[in-house]
Amino acid sequence: MKKTVDVSIPIGPMHPCWKEPIRLKCETIGERVLRTEVELGYMKKGIERIMRGRPWQEVMFLAERICGICSVIHNMVFIEAMEGISGIAVPPRAAYLRVVVNELDRMESHILANFSYCYTIEHETLAMYLLNVREIVLDQLERITGSRINTAYMIPGGVRFDITEEDAAALLAGLARVEEDVERYTRMFATSYLIALRSRGVGTMTREKAIEAHAVGPTGRASNVPECDLRLQHPTYQKLGFTPVCRTEGDNFARNMVRFDEVMQSISLIRQCIGQLPEGPIRGGGACTAGEITYQGEAPRGELTYYIKSDEYGRIIDITVRTPSIMNIEACTHHMINDVTSVADVTSTFISSDPCVACTER
Amino acid sequence: MSLLQKLKNRVRSKSIHVCFVDVGSCNGCDIEVLACLAPRYDIEQYGIYVHNNPREADILLVMGAVTPQWVDKLVAIWEKIPEPKAAIAIGNCPISGCVYNRRDSYIDPPAAKHIPIAAQVPGCPPRPTEILAAILSLAPTIFENYEEKKR
Repeated sequence: MKKTVDVSIPIGPMHPCWKEPIRLKCETIGERVLRTEVELGYMKKGIERIMRGRPWQEVMFLAERICGICSVIHNMVFIEAMEGISGIAVPPRAAYLRVVVNELDRMESHILANFSYCYTIEHETLAMYLLNVREIVLDQLERITGSRINTAYMIPGGVRFDITEEDAAALLAGLARVEEDVERYTRMFATSYLIALRSRGVGTMTREKAIEAHAVGPTGRASNVPECDLRLQHPTYQKLGFTPVCRTEGDNFARNMVRFDEVMQSISLIRQCIGQLPEGPIRGGGACTAGEITYQGEAPRGELTYYIKSDEYGRIIDITVRTPSIMNIEACTHHMINDVTSVADVTSTFISSDPCVACTER
Repeated sequence: MSLLQKLKNRVRSKSIHVCFVDVGSCNGCDIEVLACLAPRYDIEQYGIYVHNNPREADILLVMGAVTPQWVDKLVAIWEKIPEPKAAIAIGNCPISGCVYNRRDSYIDPPAAKHIPIAAQVPGCPPRPTEILAAILSLAPTIFENYEEKKR
């Protein structure tokens, strides 16, 4: 029988490039990687099972502990789903403040993803620059919400804390610093010869393949699928005149550039929000009641879906969460890591799709 | 104390290699450990290096409530680390299980049940400065006069 595969190389679950445990099995012929299989299941904690039968006040904190990096969007989607069930209206000032905090969270998540990519391709200088910029963004998040990671900022009918004139001025000053730095680092990333050699044309995914695999978030938008951005359907973003960032190449370079461009876009969205922030209360009234809803929001990594069924006291009877990373990991292993030239490109391609294992397995 | 022991004490307190393992957290603690690498906190100015390789590590940072898949693997990683070694639990999860320690969940906390934990940093998640302070205060005391203590 003819030998087709030389060695099956395992990568992970504990690997210097990866923050979280996941295992890839690469089938290789010489240096060339034919196909890759992903092995999940190291992080399964059963959060949805804990959530069932508990009041929404508890589930709210459990929901944001599904994922530490994108905790704000888990909070936001759960709260907006509960508001949809109970028919609670949000004051306009609170709706704008939600967008501000959500975009700050997206900025830190995207900068962290690009840090991971630069670290994986051993461009440590740019990686450290990006990690330092991320601290400025986290400072702004801490100034508004009081916490760096798990913020618990949104509640049904509004947000917890108001933003003062002083806070707004400091936020805009911080954003000006971030904008200046990220612009420079984007130029460094786009023009560097070394990064181009490792990124351009590696892990290419066409638009057809992206739609077939249901790639979402920056991974989908780098393959020219702009309609996968669910912020287009959010009422506050519609008021702000949001248009998604999109690129056509579909390779590692495009995925990172989409994230850089979205950081700049988030800065302009926050500026718009602070500029047209309406006066008024930040908390309305309302009680959570019985109902059933499927609600979607745009997480930093893509489409996040919550299915919630609650009883008349606001207790959660049934809940199902679908997170974006599971689609991106599948798209990555089936369409990107196919016939790549070396094992070193497997890790960088996988990191470029920004996998979040804690989200995926919950 | 011999001159050699003094030299070893000095070298060991100035060069600490750290390995981190995520045994089922929400990755909030992971990114706070990563934030320690940032030039603002600059973990390397204290002589702490994050390599994530257990075979050359001195200190193991454990993050997350222990999931069943990790029970044997965590012990295997702990056994791969050469002596002298210490483990630090980062965050509430390895201490108590935090929010996941409820009926119907799949976890098996605390981490001290599976490997000896020398220090604990509570918080959900703790700040990078607290993680840094824990490593810096623990490492010299654990590694001081290691050969004499062993005798």
